[in-house]
Amino acid sequence: MTDLDKLGEEEMDVLKELGNIGTGHAATSLSKLLNKDVYLSVPKVKVGEIKNLSREFIGEVVAGVIIALQDLEEKKSGYLYIMFPEKSARKIAGDLFGMDELDEEMYASTIMEVGNILSSSFCDASADFMNIILLPSPPSFAVDVPTAVIDSVVSQMAKNTNHIILFETSLSSDSDIEIYLALLPEPCLLDDMMKIMGRL
Amino acid sequence: MSSVFLFISNESGKAIFLISGDVLVKSFCSLSDTCPFQDSCRSCSLLNAAKNYLAGTAPDSRIKTLDGELSAGIGEYKIGKNVLLKVMGLGSCIGVILSDVSTGICGIAHVLLPGASDRGETKYAETAIEKMVEDMVKMGARRSRITAKFAGGAQVFKHMSLDILKIGDRNAISVEETLIKKNIPILAKDVGGEVGRNVIFNPADGSMIVKYTAKGEVLWL
Repeated sequence: MTDLDKLGEEEMDVLKELGNIGTGHAATSLSKLLNKDVYLSVPKVKVGEIKNLSREFIGEVVAGVIIALQDLEEKKSGYLYIMFPEKSARKIAGDLFGMDELDEEMYASTIMEVGNILSSSFCDASADFMNIILLPSPPSFAVDVPTAVIDSVVSQMAKNTNHIILFETSLSSDSDIEIYLALLPEPCLLDDMMKIMGRL
Repeated sequence: MSSVFLFISNESGKAIFLISGDVLVKSFCSLSDTCPFQDSCRSCSLLNAAKNYLAGTAPDSRIKTLDGELSAGIGEYKIGKNVLLKVMGLGSCIGVILSDVSTGICGIAHVLLPGASDRGETKYAETAIEKMVEDMVKMGARRSRITAKFAGGAQVFKHMSLDILKIGDRNAISVEETLIKKNIPILAKDVGGEVGRNVIFNPADGSMIVKYTAKGEVLWL
């Protein structure tokens, strides 16, 4: 199994490529959904120790959507973590409904649905381009600071490792919409990717 | 510029201020729920007492200084004497505070997983507590005087499709069982619910300050 703290240049590049293709498609879907131009920031891949993870995220409260990614054998391949800063989340939900005020239930399910759309396009793209099957789970939703939302996922991953790989990028539109996207791959996803790259 | 941590307690309430030069950088205050200025402290009897103390005009026995702060990352613990201890952004994780008031030695752990580790990894509740006690005793704390407070173990998800995310409860149970097993008295706890927390320990009066990260509510326990 690929050891996360000994990840080479090549693995990092492959992961970056997967993330790029995935988030590129997610950005296109978001653009269609909102009927606005969407910009993608230059993505970063980081390998870090779990204890420093909280430094990687923004400090403000977000509407966080977590989607688990599985392969065909139902092995966990990793997690997609989509963070909507509260102001952006309200704006997106409001724009989609053409209303300023939404009740909380409606708001939550709208953001989850946006999360669903983004993760599905992410998974489709990675399947198309890299031949990796990623099946998204239904979304889980919470409103809190980013570390508090993600720490139960980190618990799962921490059983096997002290390191975490983070692929991070952000999508933005106009001046008032910003979405942060992170991919936390499990070692088996990297193994699969390397196998496929090896065959090429 | 030098920074000072001050802990002030008077008839109206308790507060910790981090003051750097003339600037109030941070405050944790027991009055924040009713404070008209919310987090942007401007003036109140607590802050005025702090200003007078710093200006050297009014020596005040109700004011104590702290020697800095330590923050424990996920799965880590930190130990110190007379320092402010913090763990930030707890969801399902737990902040466990151990302190010996007789010597002022205290520690905080950011527990990520329930149970014990056979490799001495402090992300596990039992291992973190064991190692923290050992280290505190090495520093001079008295084993029999150590007491505990803890908070966290939430289940922040309003909608959840993954059962694996339900780890908060298990963390809380594991921490509590370990403390009972080790005969460490539990003086306060605030666990569960749907809220993320910041947990801060003030060694000057032994209180645990819990801040709900989404709602901003603050508890002094």
